[in-house]
Amino acid sequence: MPAPTPVMHVPFTHLQSMLLFALIISLAFGTLGRRRPADRIRYAAWSFLLFMLVGIAIGWAMYPFSR
Amino acid sequence: MDEPVKDAPQTESLPSPVAAPSEEGRALMALAICAAGWAVPGLGHALQKMWGRALAVFLAVGALVILGAGMRGNVFTSRGEDAFATLGYFADLGSGSFYFLARAAESAGPDVSHSTGDYGTRFIATAGVLNLLAALHAYEAARGRKA
Repeated sequence: MPAPTPVMHVPFTHLQSMLLFALIISLAFGTLGRRRPADRIRYAAWSFLLFMLVGIAIGWAMYPFSR
Repeated sequence: MDEPVKDAPQTESLPSPVAAPSEEGRALMALAICAAGWAVPGLGHALQKMWGRALAVFLAVGALVILGAGMRGNVFTSRGEDAFATLGYFADLGSGSFYFLARAAESAGPDVSHSTGDYGTRFIATAGVLNLLAALHAYEAARGRKA
């Protein structure tokens, strides 16, 4: 019996997945965490930046052990 | 001769037509809002007319669930084989009704042999945890605490 075909297939690279994850979560954090629109944008941008920086830093920190 | 009756204190003894909810009633209402927010992402905030936050939670949790299922992430079931699978199940269940959406969208089952599937697993788990956070936020707002 053939395996069922997936309804949808979303092929993302590591970086694309991380970008998308950081973007969605940052926007949600900004909206939940702050009241004023300007504060929300600032908080979301700051969260996004930190997500990316920490993600890339951990990626490089693991690099020596990947081979 | 009788003393004239003063009418000022009468207003205090009469019940107000729009009674303020008691502390217990308010706590119950907050719990109901929290449960609604868990069951349908964003509903807890929508019931309090926080439209922006309701929309943000609904879209964020929905996007994470749909993308996670599309990436063929693992949607954990209650029949977990180890503690991590059980933890994953509780995280996934945090997205409320969207958990069943993820199960339905992933008709071909998970594929974590590629990194995309592994990311999908995290997306789905994060959707659940984010929704739990939003439900807690809605509860705090309903209790009148700073949120």
